[in-house]
Amino acid sequence: MEQHYGKTEITFAALAGVLYTILGMYHIAEGIGIDIGIYEGMAGSLFIPGDILGGFCLVVTGGVFLYGFKEMMQGINAGVSFLYVGILMSLLFMMVYLLIMGGNLLDSFIVPQDYEGWSIMETFRPGIYLGILSLAGILYWKDRFSLNEVLVFREGA
Amino acid sequence: MTEKITVALAGNPNVGKTSIFNAITGSKQHVGNWPGVTVERKMGKRKHKDIEMQIVDLPGTYSLTAYSLDEIIARDFIIEEKPDIVVQVIDATNLERNLYLTTQLMELGTKLIIALNMTDLALAKGDSIEVQKMQEFLEVPVISTIGSRGGGIEDLLDSITEEIHRTRTNENVFVYDGEIEKSADELGNVLADDPYYSHYPSRWFSMKLLEGDENIIKKAKESGNYPQIRKILQRTDADSFEAKIADQRYKTIQTMLRQVCNINTDHLSGSDMVDRVVTNKYLGIPIFLSLMWAAFEVTFTFATPFMNIIDIFFGWLAETASDVITISWLASLVGDGMIAGVGSVLIFLPNILLLFFMISLMEDSGYMSRAAFIMDKVMSKIGLHGKSFIPLIMGFGCNVPAIMATRTIEDSRDRLITILIAPFVSCGARLPVYVLLAGAFFGRDAGIVIFGLYALGIFVALISAKLMRSTIVKGEDTPFIMELPSYKIPTLKGSILHMWERGKIYLKKAGGIILIGVVGIWLLASIPAPGSGGTFASEEIYGTTDSMIGFIGQIIEPLVAPLGFDWKIAVALMFGVVAKEIVVGSMGVLYGVGDNEDSLTEILAAGAMTPLAGLGLMVFTLLYVPCFACIGVIKRETGSWKWTVFQLLYGTGLAWIFAFVLYQVGSRIGLFA
Repeated sequence: MEQHYGKTEITFAALAGVLYTILGMYHIAEGIGIDIGIYEGMAGSLFIPGDILGGFCLVVTGGVFLYGFKEMMQGINAGVSFLYVGILMSLLFMMVYLLIMGGNLLDSFIVPQDYEGWSIMETFRPGIYLGILSLAGILYWKDRFSLNEVLVFREGA
Repeated sequence: MTEKITVALAGNPNVGKTSIFNAITGSKQHVGNWPGVTVERKMGKRKHKDIEMQIVDLPGTYSLTAYSLDEIIARDFIIEEKPDIVVQVIDATNLERNLYLTTQLMELGTKLIIALNMTDLALAKGDSIEVQKMQEFLEVPVISTIGSRGGGIEDLLDSITEEIHRTRTNENVFVYDGEIEKSADELGNVLADDPYYSHYPSRWFSMKLLEGDENIIKKAKESGNYPQIRKILQRTDADSFEAKIADQRYKTIQTMLRQVCNINTDHLSGSDMVDRVVTNKYLGIPIFLSLMWAAFEVTFTFATPFMNIIDIFFGWLAETASDVITISWLASLVGDGMIAGVGSVLIFLPNILLLFFMISLMEDSGYMSRAAFIMDKVMSKIGLHGKSFIPLIMGFGCNVPAIMATRTIEDSRDRLITILIAPFVSCGARLPVYVLLAGAFFGRDAGIVIFGLYALGIFVALISAKLMRSTIVKGEDTPFIMELPSYKIPTLKGSILHMWERGKIYLKKAGGIILIGVVGIWLLASIPAPGSGGTFASEEIYGTTDSMIGFIGQIIEPLVAPLGFDWKIAVALMFGVVAKEIVVGSMGVLYGVGDNEDSLTEILAAGAMTPLAGLGLMVFTLLYVPCFACIGVIKRETGSWKWTVFQLLYGTGLAWIFAFVLYQVGSRIGLFA
């Protein structure tokens, strides 16, 4: 049977899986007050908040990519499903964080007195920059996603 | 002269009957990509070529041997009320299973047209179907339709007008094994002798008796000829006959399918691939929780600027009203009562719309069915199955349709438990209470608190089910078979429409029952209490313990004082039984939002209540007595005051215990201090 994935898919799943899992766990650690930063202010420079549930979502997304990586390494053809769904999930969470940013920005114009000294970057989250990786993925594999009436993943590269 | 006919839309669950109904009648009934959206028959009208058609949208059913309440509604309408024509809507992506019902409808001898729906999805999957050949094989008209876009509807209507005047029946189209045929003939002879059976096609009635259909056997028992029927049935083995009859029907279907269609089975479809992930035994539940978290985070955070716009508008309106109206009591009624009360509720409209929009996306995409599927393992541990989870998810919108959706559950005990636990699922009407209090006391973590309350509702529902299953509603586990529909990309128009349908109900409530409620509260807050000696609507009386509402509140305050609630909260909870939104509306009136420059959130955060009591109030609102509409539907669906009263007492008892433990333990350990 023809294999529906190659080294690019496997590498992407591994990379995205590791990044999402590590950054998600970092969110959770910050949320419960454990400092795991390698250098002073590491969480701030990576825009990581103390957010247990947000971190959980990133870990789950990472888990989906890593499961796909595991299956593809075992030669399971349908393992590529996890890569595609992982990409869709990460784009969904990227959208959620962008909506939150947009909501805060809009609110700062409506009630400026509540936002004195506030910067838009305070609501910037790893879910956004990690989503850029998936955006690259969806552009690279765009011929495999058909979003008409029904969701279709086409086979083959 | 205009001819009047009745057309029934029948078919398996989730094949697009309601989409076709909407396309024919122009109505906007709720359509969802999951089984069990329609649990009652719905009527509509359409005139076509001088024929006035009454269209009846029936709940989905897999066969004419009905098990659940919604299936019985569909079966009884076709058999007892005898529509002039039955249009069976078939899912073109799943022909084999859908055609099983066709074989039964053909045996029934009803005038039948097949609407081959979702043909676009079948094509996208790579399937091909020869419609003309299918029509020749079945000897009934087959029309290709795409219900969601109105495709093929005119052809379908043309076909109905032609078929209605054609004389042909499909009885006796299937020939079964010799032993079955012999018994069917014998039963047919007995039935022919008794006018009681003239209402039913004798061949169909005989086959149903041989299949051991309990409903039909019950009908037969009412006839004088039953002893003869019983004698024939005693010689047969119903289980073996039922299996043989089903086998024969499927063989016929498979023979036809080999000739009329080519199903693409070479590759995994998009839906199959997504299902491999979202129903994965390790990842399924975490993915579901992540998606729910995303929905609540957006509901709370993205709605904030829109809430502030509404807040600013009502602040301006209250100020203008007090400037323009010179009669003090009228200014108080409009400003402190109507504007403060209704404004406190309407401020949450953006949250309601956003939450419903996201629930609609999950429903329309087909994900909700997967949620039920992945929860089956958890549900089976508490003695229910995944099918009971669908009404619970529907409860996020409103508990009333959720309780009605339990009609899809075959086992009466499972259904009863699901009805009793459904009110614990947090509905949209409770959301304003959470957004208000979580926003006041938990700032950036408000989204997490609201998510936690929804999770608590589900947790309490599941634990209660387990408790009931092992004590008062004992029963056996039943197998769970559920069809997972293909994923669809939800249309923006469809999701906005669903969001608006539900948002409209909220707006209507705000302008109706909530307005009446807050005016009632204003009146009680303005009338002096017996013996207080004040004057109506005076500042010294309004909303104080010297007012009538303060008098009532103080009487019931001892009941809620151990939970950290004062008399104002006691009154708000009492009025909240009418509709949960009134809890917020009452607080708006009683905490004097109309007189104050600050919003209700700011007033509460400034010390009107402690964060611990606020959390307790959210938990109490989640679990205590459901609203009037919900109580009514519990009574109707259980058919028992005993169970209705049990639900009210059990829920309120749980709410009190949870809030009591939270407040008392929390106070002692300094939680949120």
